[in-house]
Amino acid sequence: MKTMAARLGALLCGAAVAAALPLGAHAEDKVITEWDLQTTPGAVAVIRDAEDRFEKDHPGFKVEDSHILNDAYKAKLKIAFGAGEPPCVFSSWGGGPLREYVNADQVVDLTPYLDQHPEFKDRFATASFGAATTDGKIYALPAENTAVAAIFYNKDIFKRLNLTPPKTWDELMATVKTLNDNNIAPFALANKNKWPGSMFFVYLVDRIGGPEAFAKAVDPAADGSFTDEPFIEAGKRIQELVKADAFARGYNGLDYDIGGSRRLLYSGRAAMELMGSWELATIRNENPDFVDKLGVFAFPAVEGGKGDPNNLVGTLGDNFISISKACPYKDEAFDLLMKLTDDTAAAGRLADKRVMPLKNLKVEDPFLKTIVKMVGEAPSVQLWYDQELAPALGEAHKDTTQALFGLSMTPEEAAAKMEEVAKSAH
Amino acid sequence: MTVATHRAEPVRRRRARALSSALAPAVFLAPAVVLLLVYLLYPLVDSFRLSLLAWNGLGETARYVGLENWVRLAHDQVFWLSAGNNILLALFSVLIQLPIAIVLAVVLDEASHGSRLLKILYFLPLLMSSVAVGVLFKNVYDPNFGPVNSILEAFGLYDWTQDWLGDPHLALASVIAVVCWQNIPFYMVLFLAGLASFPRELNEAARLDGASEITIFWRLKLPHLKGTFRTAVLLAVIGSLRYFDLIYIMTGGGPDNASELMATYMYRTVFSSFQLGYGSTIASAMFIVVTLIAAVSFRISRRFETEI
Repeated sequence: MKTMAARLGALLCGAAVAAALPLGAHAEDKVITEWDLQTTPGAVAVIRDAEDRFEKDHPGFKVEDSHILNDAYKAKLKIAFGAGEPPCVFSSWGGGPLREYVNADQVVDLTPYLDQHPEFKDRFATASFGAATTDGKIYALPAENTAVAAIFYNKDIFKRLNLTPPKTWDELMATVKTLNDNNIAPFALANKNKWPGSMFFVYLVDRIGGPEAFAKAVDPAADGSFTDEPFIEAGKRIQELVKADAFARGYNGLDYDIGGSRRLLYSGRAAMELMGSWELATIRNENPDFVDKLGVFAFPAVEGGKGDPNNLVGTLGDNFISISKACPYKDEAFDLLMKLTDDTAAAGRLADKRVMPLKNLKVEDPFLKTIVKMVGEAPSVQLWYDQELAPALGEAHKDTTQALFGLSMTPEEAAAKMEEVAKSAH
Repeated sequence: MTVATHRAEPVRRRRARALSSALAPAVFLAPAVVLLLVYLLYPLVDSFRLSLLAWNGLGETARYVGLENWVRLAHDQVFWLSAGNNILLALFSVLIQLPIAIVLAVVLDEASHGSRLLKILYFLPLLMSSVAVGVLFKNVYDPNFGPVNSILEAFGLYDWTQDWLGDPHLALASVIAVVCWQNIPFYMVLFLAGLASFPRELNEAARLDGASEITIFWRLKLPHLKGTFRTAVLLAVIGSLRYFDLIYIMTGGGPDNASELMATYMYRTVFSSFQLGYGSTIASAMFIVVTLIAAVSFRISRRFETEI
């Protein structure tokens, strides 16, 4: 019995020691863990290249990276931080969720590092730090892409029906009517995911009340609220579209991730889709022949609205890279951040059709040029609400917007619900 | 071993033997007990503790709020709606899956030799991963391109075509149909195993006495399966109350919470809204609801058993 227990104990100890040994690392290596949510080969290659250059500059250091799909990533990151074993360097979408980590004192303030490297910092478009800033301090570097929402449309259908891209809301409603009269669904929308429908809401609030409407509603010190007129009016306009049959059948149940909206475009059953500019890259991969038919125009102006029609909704940076406070090698980690966002990395991403938010980036691709030009001319770029808002409020926004689309909530009820959640958060 | 030899043993050796016979089960049980304590009891108790906190799950920001989360839960329409959906799912699982599974099992058992291929075919849905099943049926239900609406249109039944997953009145029913499709094979196998122990002689004797297949089914096979049936009811009820995967994949609980379940609501609260405290409250409430309903259905199915 005794010998057996001893053997069992030895076996358990052995197993514990084996489990504690980090896999694949030499004992003398200092390991920097890096987590991101880039899973396409092009994006991963850029990151690995930057890490290789970092390892070359810092002998004895090793970067262990993990590339994880979006939804799984968000859960994994949260659990890792909750368990007190976060990765050294991690990506996020910036905005509200990043602020949760910042407010829990988990993220390194990058401002002093950036102040030491002014020439590096000044390369970035100033507005791109917005989603990474809390109380005037910068907690992340904008890294991957510039994405703004615009209306993609089928040029052939528009030509056949003598339509031109609508510049105002009234023109849009007329376009919707013409398309319906010809048995073509005006918009393809995959709103099972909720964020595609949210783009309509965010644009409408911005066009009706200007960017200040949202800024005042989220600021507890300001006198604004989510029950202000622009939010109610935006809800009304969404329901005006729904009642005019502007969306292809099944819009609240279609799944964007399996191409629920795009196949409506490809088949010619729907003529337009409001979507982030990444949609072009997706369509190029899925259906290269369709790209020739594809045009793009900005979200129309709303008559009498306060917002500049050049304003955009989107993200400057897409993913933002931060350092966790638990990281033992913060100085080196910042150098890794610089490598991940330097000109070499920017060139790599550009070759992969992604535009980092840098001031002097030479873009050749005609479509990307259009996007860069739109961003350059935009007085303001509103970050997606579900990224900008605190997580609970962002969820409430997505839920109420889906309910607006389903006509199961009135604009007033949706606005009241938002304000209720906002109040309980303060 | 006889008593005499026992007595002949020296006292010390007897004590050692008694000790070791007490120790041996303890040693063999210890790993299971430790695993249960660490992975079952501790999380259970801890989630009750977490339900008393306002916490986003990150860092040292937790705040003790007493029963505030529980009060909020009591007034949370979405939670009660999702609990109701869970009960609907449990009800339909029992009422649809079990009868079909019993019939399939009896028929396949009867056709014993030629049924091997069919058994494998019917078993297939259970072997597919839920994610694959979910994506498959999202396409099947697609209102514009999916085969369901296309077939209805081919027969000219335009009014019957539906927005299967986007209509709040239909979304839950549409997913429940897939859940049944996926789970029937499981209960079929369970009943097949139950029928395997059905005595052949009894069957033959009944036939000689002129009993029809239907009489044999109602009077002999069904009573024989009552124990299995009870297990199946319990499994179906508990499984439905904790259900997550196909709802999460196919509708995400939408549209407008129409197909929300307790588990998907909890997941969203913790991982999308960053409310670990309130999410734990939902999880704890879920535990209470599941335990209560499982106990009740255990009771009911026992009475059912004695009445047959």
